[in-house]
Amino acid sequence: MTAFRAAVLEHFRHPRNRGPVDGATVSIDGANPLCGDRIRVQLRVAEGRIAAVGFTADACALCIAAASVLTEHVRGMSTTDVAAVDGAWINNALGGEPPRGRERCALLPLDTLRRAIAQSLDAAP
Amino acid sequence: MSSIGLIDPRDPALAGEPAVVLATLVAATGSTSKKVGAKMIVAQSGRLLGGVTIGGCVDAQVIEAADALVARGGRRLLSISLDDDEAWEIGLTCGGTVEVMLERVEANRGDDVVASAHGFAGDALARGAAAVLVTPVDGAPAAFVVCDDGAHFGSLGAAAIDDAATGLVAGVLASSSRVETIGDRRYFFDRIAPPTTLVIVGAGQIAMSLTRMARELEMRTIVVDGRERYATRERFPDADELCVGMPSEIVANIPSTKRVAVALVAHDYKYELPILRRLLREPVGYIGMLGSKKRGVAMRDILRDEGFTDDELARVHTPIGLDIGGRSAAEVALSILAEIVAVRSGKRA
Repeated sequence: MTAFRAAVLEHFRHPRNRGPVDGATVSIDGANPLCGDRIRVQLRVAEGRIAAVGFTADACALCIAAASVLTEHVRGMSTTDVAAVDGAWINNALGGEPPRGRERCALLPLDTLRRAIAQSLDAAP
Repeated sequence: MSSIGLIDPRDPALAGEPAVVLATLVAATGSTSKKVGAKMIVAQSGRLLGGVTIGGCVDAQVIEAADALVARGGRRLLSISLDDDEAWEIGLTCGGTVEVMLERVEANRGDDVVASAHGFAGDALARGAAAVLVTPVDGAPAAFVVCDDGAHFGSLGAAAIDDAATGLVAGVLASSSRVETIGDRRYFFDRIAPPTTLVIVGAGQIAMSLTRMARELEMRTIVVDGRERYATRERFPDADELCVGMPSEIVANIPSTKRVAVALVAHDYKYELPILRRLLREPVGYIGMLGSKKRGVAMRDILRDEGFTDDELARVHTPIGLDIGGRSAAEVALSILAEIVAVRSGKRA
């Protein structure tokens, strides 16, 4: 088994930050319309930082693994610094690139997180 | 008349009918072709309403008796013995007796005891509750309705009788309609339960066949998928509801009762695992999952590692459906529905 596959399975079986966030200040749903992956990313943003982050998903192992490593990474980060996180970071965190045609699965959590942060910034006083 | 035999004053078929006779099969010995609770309506105009009949020779005698009753009023218990020839014709293999309760009902009169009880039971069904409608099988009219959500209506004439009837309701709800004796009088306990709700997860070909066939079985169907292009009205003209979103959340928001059957036919673990996590400890009547035995073992292993017990995991029927050797989507759908009916009727665990 490759390191990538082992990492995906480990995060799929034991996902970090799965579940709703108490006192979430923003909640955004994302979907891959053709494969049917569905995810909800919730944040509690305080003083420009991600105080808490969680996700709920009916999604494939790759999507859940990506959400798991991503939420671990951004917790405590300033919302502006999250802009530096990209697909390459996720690939690196999982130890490899997703199989051809599965890139959207790995990117769905990041895309949804970015939209959540954008909404949070829009709502900021 | 509703599909499960309730008189509904709003039914267009009752318009212009000042009175009808409701005929209910309340008891039968031998192997009847219809189950106890089967109903037929004979209208004053001579029309027969509804699609439920009681069977060949019995029908004729019921209609004749009903014609007399609808004119003069009242109620009676019709006991019909069947000799061997008649028994053969209606499917009784060794003769027997049927008892049919006949009641004259004025559906549009607010003070009609039976019509009012039917209206109350109909309202219970509409909110998802099951009800038992209790009536004396002969003598003066009375009706008492007890719902599984605690609501009740009407009376059998004395608090002690109502209490005794209430004590019998749970047993009827758990099994089927039947006659019970309270004191020296016989009462018919008519079990009126909402239709089975079939939740279909995965809006593919099997789901399309399921919705078509489930309609014939008077099941309510809810099709669930995360993909908007699959769960469309064009593909599912017979579905009662189409739900697109996060499937596990949609399923979790459907009240869990024994009358809910869930067919996981997406063949995709990303839906099945989250849904099973939510359902395995809920009192739904049936859970089936498409897939091979090997796939079923793998899914159970994952869930067992998460703390689900073998008893909980054994609730999942996988491979889904009775083994009838089918391969096409329609044949698989048929086998799934057959299994749901078998589980519902207690023929299969």
